[in-house]
Formats: sequence, structure tokens, C-alpha cells
Amino acid sequence: MNPTLYMPIPATIERIEDETPDIKTFTIRPVEPIAFAAGQFVELAVPGIGEAPFTPSSSPKISENMEITIMRTGRVTDWLHTMKEGDEVGVRGPMGRAYPIADFHDREILIVGGGCGVGPLRSLLLALVEDLDAYARIIVRYGARTPDSIVFKDAQMHGWDQGGALDVMLTVDEASSDWDGHVGMITEILSEDYLDCHADDGVAVMCGPPVMMKFGTEKLLERGYQPENIYLSLERNMSCGIGQCGHCRLGRYYVCKDGPVFSYDEILSNPRLWDD
Amino acid sequence: MKWTICVSSELDEVLAFLGNGREVHALERLDNGTYRSSKATAWQPGHHTLGYFRQTEPLKALFFPAREFVGRWNDQSAREPMPERIVFGVKNCDLSSLSIFDHVFLDGVCPDPYYAEAREKTILVSTDCSAQLDVCFCPAVGEQPWAKVGYDINIATTPDGPVFEIGSERGEELLRSAGQYFEPAGPELLETLEKQRARRYEELVEQCHRHGLMTDTDLTAAVESSFESELWKDFAEDCVECGACNFICCTCHCFLLADGLDEAGQPARSKLWDACLFSGFAATAGGGNPRPLRAERLRNRFDKKFIYFPQVLGRYACDGCGRCTEACIANIDIRDVLRRAVDESDALHAHSSDHRAN
Repeated sequence: MNPTLYMPIPATIERIEDETPDIKTFTIRPVEPIAFAAGQFVELAVPGIGEAPFTPSSSPKISENMEITIMRTGRVTDWLHTMKEGDEVGVRGPMGRAYPIADFHDREILIVGGGCGVGPLRSLLLALVEDLDAYARIIVRYGARTPDSIVFKDAQMHGWDQGGALDVMLTVDEASSDWDGHVGMITEILSEDYLDCHADDGVAVMCGPPVMMKFGTEKLLERGYQPENIYLSLERNMSCGIGQCGHCRLGRYYVCKDGPVFSYDEILSNPRLWDD
Repeated sequence: MKWTICVSSELDEVLAFLGNGREVHALERLDNGTYRSSKATAWQPGHHTLGYFRQTEPLKALFFPAREFVGRWNDQSAREPMPERIVFGVKNCDLSSLSIFDHVFLDGVCPDPYYAEAREKTILVSTDCSAQLDVCFCPAVGEQPWAKVGYDINIATTPDGPVFEIGSERGEELLRSAGQYFEPAGPELLETLEKQRARRYEELVEQCHRHGLMTDTDLTAAVESSFESELWKDFAEDCVECGACNFICCTCHCFLLADGLDEAGQPARSKLWDACLFSGFAATAGGGNPRPLRAERLRNRFDKKFIYFPQVLGRYACDGCGRCTEACIANIDIRDVLRRAVDESDALHAHSSDHRAN
């Protein structure tokens, strides 16, 4: 019998950090290490309550513990937000297809994130920055609703541009009085005025709310990115995580096992692609 | 080796012998003329029967129970092993459905050991249909009223006695152990059987025709080209999204991993049948739902059966058992839905060839 097929392995919440009023980053330590690749997801369970899919936001080089950035938005996440350091959760995974990082070597990588979707992208970025010389250039474009809702604002994302190795730009839909950055939609900072890129052979990786991914993809295509070079992390109701339970089907794929990372050319023919 | 043999003794005695030492599942005829699956420690003459047509509940329940306990928190102890079982009276629609479950639970990224054990420990004794229900339409989806593949032993009753057919190595082993009951079937008997099957098939084809369905229609193309049709909205007007079509379906495999507390108050998890007609089936956290409309969910059911499974497994996920038609309290007949998809796709094609001609 394989007890981890449908049952999680126990894990302890080591640390809880507030990111925004409704987003927290949980550091969890499973009883045995879970090695994952950036873009893969896990099912995080609250004993007796339920479980939900999340993509770790920490470096895939670390398997002893993982950080998961969670917005309070439903039954399981509401419960998680009431939990304390030291509490027990469960984890199953890793599941699904990761970002094909090996194919990114020597290429320019544009990372586009929106809202809480920046979780998997942070994990990818942490994997990439460990080996910066392997890539031609790394560009980050991130949009949030308000300055308050920017995730990882203190250290992890903002400030990376200081060294010049990364080209990072943030935008917010609505500014506050202390915001000195850009104000506008994510598509704006993907335009010629704000983004100098090698679209013809560059790679773009995007994760965020469906509406942002829809317009973001359109913008990237307009800029000349090839459909096969645009990678999207899709969200569906991934439940079993192993292609059995049927909840996350998208056309001929199950997002849990064939995704969650898809190149745009694999899924562009699906008429339901952008429905959330 | 595949051989055909004829029983030379009382059928009940042979079936009791085959079921010896196994948990027996056979059909029980109810007063309303339908069959249900009935579990016992042995074949029970008079109570058990092989049945003229399929049982009401799908065979899948024996391998993929409606509610299956899968584990307790922090408890990795194995479940009680399952007993050796034999199932008598399986009809081809149900038998054929198992290739869907094998694909889902055995061939995927992470095979399900409980399902594997259930398959491993269950001997399937199929029987030819010798009558049909009004809702049956298996020829329209490429199936037939007798076992094609996947059986261990098949029994066909003929006026000259029951004919046993071997479908697997373990079926052969089991029949060899009962060798005293059998003698080779002669060519005349096999010819009788062939004619009998052809007659039964023709009757089913006629029933399909009465409902406007042919046997060689490309249902994938029909459902695909009617994606934008009003037909889904029209049928969804009557649908009350009770999920009965999903639950009763011999191929629907979707499930929910449900967390809760067991009798002792310990966190535990079960696998429950789920239904894609339910509004929350595909809903994501934060209020997103790829299929908010009932019409979209109804269409999804046909998309899964007639587009997805042909793509990934080369077959429809429908065996024409007609259970969904029987179970639907809104009287939605799957044959009407398919016929309308076919008609609309024919009309579409006629229209587009008109355009080409011009």
C-alpha cells in the first residue's frame, strides 16, 4: 500500500509571516523532505478540514522545508489563516509539471506576475538567481492592485534590481500617497516604453489571475513572443493531484498532471482557456 | 489458449463450484423485473441468477465504491486485505467500462493500490444479454450485447445449454479445475450461438434506429461540432443537476477526497463519487468557476465522454447502458442529446459543403 497516494504526510508550521492584510507565507517542515522543482505544486491539508493546491514560493534547492504563500479566499485558506506556528498540517506532492528550466539556458527570461500569482514565480526566480550566469538576462514585471497588496515587498522582490543583475519593475492599479513607483495595468509595463526585450527568442513565464494572464498573453504575443515560449501556470480545481479525480480537466489535459505549467501553444486552441 | 466448452451437468452446481471459497456477487431479480447485485458467501440457487440484461447499479461500485475510506491522519497501517471475489452475470456494457477505470486508476502517474487489489482479486464471469431494456443503445457506441474483452469466463445460455468461453489465463485455470462438468462444444452449438448473438444485436440496432441513432456515426465529431449549439441550453432547461446521471453511469470516475472525522473523532479521509453536473465541481478558491452555467456542465459531460476519452484512450466513455436515461428525473434521454448533436453537425456539414460548392 502506498499511504501517500491519497493521504498527506504530516508537516509542522515553522513560521508564519504576514505579507499583506489577506496573504501570509507559511514555512512548513514535513516529517520527510519533499524535493520539488519550481512550478510544481503540493496539496496542503488541514487535518479533518480539507486540502487545497498551492505552489511553493521558496527555493526548490531546499527540500527540508518549504514556504507557501497563501491568500485567504476560501474554506481551507480561511482555516489556515487561523493556524499558529507549531500547528500540524499535511502535505502531498510534489505534483505536476515544472518550469522547463533546462530549456531556459542562455536565453532572456521575462517573468510576469500578478497578485498572489507571484508565489511560483518567486520559487522560479530563486532557482534562476542561484545560477545567474547561465541566462542571458532576467526581467521581472509584477503588478498588484495596491501598494499594500504587493507580496514579498520587503526583501525578496523589490530591491533585487539594485545590483543591476535583474531588471525588475512593479506597478499598482491604484497608488497610495507613499507610492513612488508606476501606476497602471501590468500590460502597460510590458509595452515598448517600459520593457526592452528580445521577444523573438526570449522566454516569458507568467502567473496571476486569469484576466491578467489573458491580457498579458495577448500583450506578449503582440510584442513578438512565440506561443511555445510563453509559459503559463494555470489554476483549476486540482484535488487528487494525480489525474484521477477529474476536477481540473482542461480539454485533453488534466492541469494537475499535465500542468500546471503549460506553454501557450499547448493550450491556445481551448475555447475555455481563460474562464476562471 | 481460448476454448469453448459446453456444460454437461446442472448449471447451479457448476456455478457453486466456481464460486467456492470466494465472496460471490451475483444478480438478484427484483419484483419489478430489474436486477440488483447481491453479495453472498456462495452461489445461491433460486436466489442468484445470471440475468437477462444488466443490473440497475453500475459494476464500477465493486471496484470504485461510492464511499471508500482511504486513510486516517498519522496512521499508515494498511487496510484489511480484500477477499477473493467472483462476480457472476456481468454484462458487456459494465465489462467494457472497466477499461476506463483501469486507465484512470492503474495507468496514471500514481496507480491506486486499492483499485489494483480489487481488480486482482475479482474473477469476472460475464453473460450474454438475452433481452434488452428500452433504454439500451450499445450498438450506437460501438458496443455489443455480449462480452468482447476483459472477462475471465463468459457464459452464453442457448436452447441447447450454456456455453462457457474462456477469456483469460485465470479463467482457463478455474474452468480446468472444474473440468469434470464440461465437454467440448460442437460446431452446431457454436453456430446456434452466433446466430442468437446476431439476432440480439439486430434487435438492439433497430432500437437505436427508432431513436434516430446509427451504429457507425462519429459521435466525437458530432459533439465537437455542436459545441456552440443551443442544444446544451435546451436540455439544461430541464436538468435539475441532481448528478444521478454521473453516479449511475458505468464509466463516470470522478471523485472527491473528503476530509472529516471518523467515529473515534480522528481526522480521516474518504473518496466519494463526485458529479460534474454539480455547480461547484470545477470551482476554484476565490469564487472562480470555469463552468458556471448548467448548460456548460451538461456539455462538459458529453465532452468528457465523446471527445476527451477518444483522445486519450481511443474509445468513448459510454457503453450505451442507458442508466443515465433511466435515472434522470427530468427525462433527459442521452439518445436524444446525441441525436440532436448528430443532426446539428450533419446540418452544419451540409451547410459548409454548400459553401464549398458555391
